[in-house]
Amino acid sequence: MDTTLTQTHFTGGHEEPQIAPTRASAFWRPTAKTGLISWLTTVDHKRIGIMYAIAALFFFLVGGLEALLIRLQLAVPNNDLLSAEQYNTLFTMHGTTMIFLSIMPLSSAFFNYIMPLQIGARDVAFPRLNAFAFWTFLAGAIVINIGWLLPDGPPDGSWVGYAPLTTRAYNPDQSIDMWVMGLQILGVSSIAGSLNFIVTIINMRAPGMTMMRMPVFSWMTLITAFLIILSFPAITIALVELMMDRMFGTNFFEISQGGLPILWQHLFWIFGHPEVYILILPAMGIVSEILPCFARKPLFGYAIVVFSGATIGFLGFAVWSHHMFTTGLGTVATAAFSLATMAIAVPTGVKIFNWIGTIWGGHLKMTTPMMFALGFIWMFMMGGFSGIMHSAAPADAQQHDSYFVIAHFHYVLIGGALFALLAGIHYWFPLAFGRKVDEFWGKLSFWVIFIGFNVTFFPMHFLGLNGMPRRTFTYDGNLGWNEPNLIATIGAGILGIGIAIYFAVMVYTYFKGTKTKRDPWDGRTLEWSIPTPPPEYNFAVTPTVHARDAFWYEKHHKEEIAKEHAAHHAEEEAHGGIHMPFKSIYPLVTSSGMLIMGIGAAVLPVDAGATMRIAVSVVGILVMIGGIFMWAHEGQEGYHIHPNEEEI
Amino acid sequence: MRTPSSLSFLKKTVAASRAACVLAAVFLLAGCSQLNFWQMDGHQTSMVTAGPVAESQLQVFYATVWVTAIIFVVVAAVLTYATIKFKARTTDDENAPPPEQSHGNPLIELSLIGVSVLALVFIAFPTLRAIWFTYDVPEEERENAYVIDAIGYQWWFKFDYPMEQIDGVGALSVANEMVIPAGRPVRVNLRTVDVIHSFWVPKLAGKVDMTPNRGNHMWLQADEPGYFWGQCAEYCGDSHAVMRFRVIALNEADFAEWVAHKKLPARTVTPEIADPARAERPQITFASFKRNEYGFSDKWDPRSQVSPLDNWRQQQFPHEGEDAALIAQGRKLFQTKTCIACHTVRGHEGMGITGPELTHIASQTTIAAGLLENTPEQMARWIMHPEVVKPGNKMYTTGYVPSEITIDQDEALALVAYLQSLK
Repeated sequence: MDTTLTQTHFTGGHEEPQIAPTRASAFWRPTAKTGLISWLTTVDHKRIGIMYAIAALFFFLVGGLEALLIRLQLAVPNNDLLSAEQYNTLFTMHGTTMIFLSIMPLSSAFFNYIMPLQIGARDVAFPRLNAFAFWTFLAGAIVINIGWLLPDGPPDGSWVGYAPLTTRAYNPDQSIDMWVMGLQILGVSSIAGSLNFIVTIINMRAPGMTMMRMPVFSWMTLITAFLIILSFPAITIALVELMMDRMFGTNFFEISQGGLPILWQHLFWIFGHPEVYILILPAMGIVSEILPCFARKPLFGYAIVVFSGATIGFLGFAVWSHHMFTTGLGTVATAAFSLATMAIAVPTGVKIFNWIGTIWGGHLKMTTPMMFALGFIWMFMMGGFSGIMHSAAPADAQQHDSYFVIAHFHYVLIGGALFALLAGIHYWFPLAFGRKVDEFWGKLSFWVIFIGFNVTFFPMHFLGLNGMPRRTFTYDGNLGWNEPNLIATIGAGILGIGIAIYFAVMVYTYFKGTKTKRDPWDGRTLEWSIPTPPPEYNFAVTPTVHARDAFWYEKHHKEEIAKEHAAHHAEEEAHGGIHMPFKSIYPLVTSSGMLIMGIGAAVLPVDAGATMRIAVSVVGILVMIGGIFMWAHEGQEGYHIHPNEEEI
Repeated sequence: MRTPSSLSFLKKTVAASRAACVLAAVFLLAGCSQLNFWQMDGHQTSMVTAGPVAESQLQVFYATVWVTAIIFVVVAAVLTYATIKFKARTTDDENAPPPEQSHGNPLIELSLIGVSVLALVFIAFPTLRAIWFTYDVPEEERENAYVIDAIGYQWWFKFDYPMEQIDGVGALSVANEMVIPAGRPVRVNLRTVDVIHSFWVPKLAGKVDMTPNRGNHMWLQADEPGYFWGQCAEYCGDSHAVMRFRVIALNEADFAEWVAHKKLPARTVTPEIADPARAERPQITFASFKRNEYGFSDKWDPRSQVSPLDNWRQQQFPHEGEDAALIAQGRKLFQTKTCIACHTVRGHEGMGITGPELTHIASQTTIAAGLLENTPEQMARWIMHPEVVKPGNKMYTTGYVPSEITIDQDEALALVAYLQSLK
């Protein structure tokens, strides 16, 4: 093994092991281990991961209810269950919620919980920043959704918020302000979280874990984090410009003053397309963990899977205008973006080939997570094929903004991203909670979801080609759209039942499920090497990595590893034991400052007067600055833990 | 761990659920033969084309379908085979020693990449050709091309005919029903006065956006005379779903006649040309609609569905039983209710330009931007309750509301009589 790496880690890792008592007295250092305060002040990546998951799943159910209402309205032609305004609000909030408040944070939950365990780290690089990212996410989610309680209602500018429909001239009410402000706050959260993951992955891998030994899920975390950091500035600019137009009368998009709405689309999609990969790459990472585990052999073509993930990340920035094929780009630009989009199909297809290669020759254990992972391959493949159809710009001229596109991206985002995330919840549930979901109920939920999903979205391909445009609150009965719409609504009901079963089973399992021991699936990666539920310090002894499937190697070289562990344990004890960071309240304080600022700037009614709104915003900013100041000065002290012999 | 009895229970359930799936699939297929949505032959379909642009786009679509279908069959077969073949069937299988820990095969991986690239080439070539073909009228036909300016409004379409100038007025202008010459390429210049709209007549051509402060264009051609359904395809606010329009293609002689007729000022009905038998006919009543109904389903005149072009031709002739007095009363109401501020009726009092031109409104097959059939009942409903028929529409929000206009049944009767006389 690489001894220099080992030494660096153990000598350079904890230069400040002692608590500095002089400053500590001036600050409240919460020490509660249970109860509300312990959750509000936690810096433990696992607890933050769980909070992300709970928030994301809550919003997933909200977005799902919105979807069911949408489908009920469209069940029959000329339905008047919902008004046009209500319908437009619902599809806007459904898209915004599912993308920003549901799939993204659910991926974040896995980044938080799993990635540090996979790379053999005791936490992320900046634990307090991690807590800040979560609380800020919650602040943004509140600002976006608070409209449900207010007279102006929630936003109705669609999730892409195309100007000039979202400018004050065409959408004077404040719901759009809330949407803009909420997304800005979410952007802060995403970027803070991503920087944290990047630093963690680059600096905190266990000794011996070279980049090309890192589990694919952690690789996809890294790539996704880079995508977020590079793409969010584009939407931040777009949102700032829109906010300036709305609040201060600038003319970026204000058409009466010569504004250029096409600019919004470019900025939005330079963010928006990488965003698609921000949603799908983590899912691909999860599937790349589950398949080898249950096929009981390593991932086929690891290097190519990793490399194609990175290629998708790069190419993802070069294809944004395929969302704009109908905006009159001209021949050359259309051709270039068409070809670039086709090119991105290659690394995507390669991943599917490699997953099949992983299954080939394995001993497949058909567990629930494996079923969801296989379902993912099928559904994602279908979504990929309709994606290739869109890449041909002339064909897309018919499909764009029709139900064909709705079918396509739901295959990619439900059949793809969501199936993988549901698989991931099943797969890592025993690790996080020490209980296992019953296979019968797990598989039942899989089949109901799988059937419901296909019954809902497969007919939409036909609807789109038959000319039904998206974002329409009603349709006429004479266009041949009645039957597929009714079938889709029935499917949505089945899908809803499947999701209900899934979550009911999860809740039941959390309280009453069969208890499991360490490593219930015969896992291959380091997260399975620790007890379940994991102790707060994760690894009693920092592992040394000798091979790609690190834990698989450990299980097959037990004596060697036992000796190594004992040596490392002694070494770590000599340095004072395991260093743990203190909890902190200041991430929460800083984030609540953002929430107050957001409320002052966007949510307070215009009638409250400019002074009032500015005053509240300033209070928010002051709370934020105060929080950051205290955060910076409370110091980064911590305490030490000495795990006993059995835990090693 | 799982007991043997629960395992067998599980197996039975899995087998039962498989059988259920197969049954469901059979029923579904049987059901589909009753349904026919998969034929995709609706009025607004992109799969039955009527012109070269839509045809070229459809051919590209078929190229992508063929290539992906072949890849799908191969990959799906391999995936299914691998799943079945390598599945652990018993607990012994599950606990058997792990298989060979192989890490991949660069040769297979690289050749699969090669095959993927090759497959995409089959899509790329027709795509590139069609991008250039569909972008603008072919060079050799440019002289012959007809030009129309299509302008999007929240929530209707205006069509200006720059090649048809009217003395002292300017270009001929119509709303929501675009009439084009068949067999001749038409270049449509796309503009908007407010938000982004998108111009989409699936049978003739894919959509192109109407973006503010940006000059877009597209071209289309109807090979034969016909009647085509179109709709706005870019979310443009409250009533996006009901921003619809029609395209009517006529042969050369009919088109020339249509243009000549449209250039005339509005028709004025005097007692001499009104139907003398008027008094004996029952009057139209408007009680036949529900107030809270959007559009209407399955209530279109069957003629408008089966032979829409003939139906359109019928619409060009004056109604029987016109009542000159009622029409004159309606024309007066058209002024007092301030309709004239937004609508042009060339030759009459209407001078406004923010709403659709109504000079020949009665010869259209639809009203309210392709939403309603142009019948007296629907027209009355539209002008009495515009906010219900078309949520958020400007006629209501910037006309009726600030001017506190209401229209009762008697007034509607007169207004409709007037508007229906504008052939």
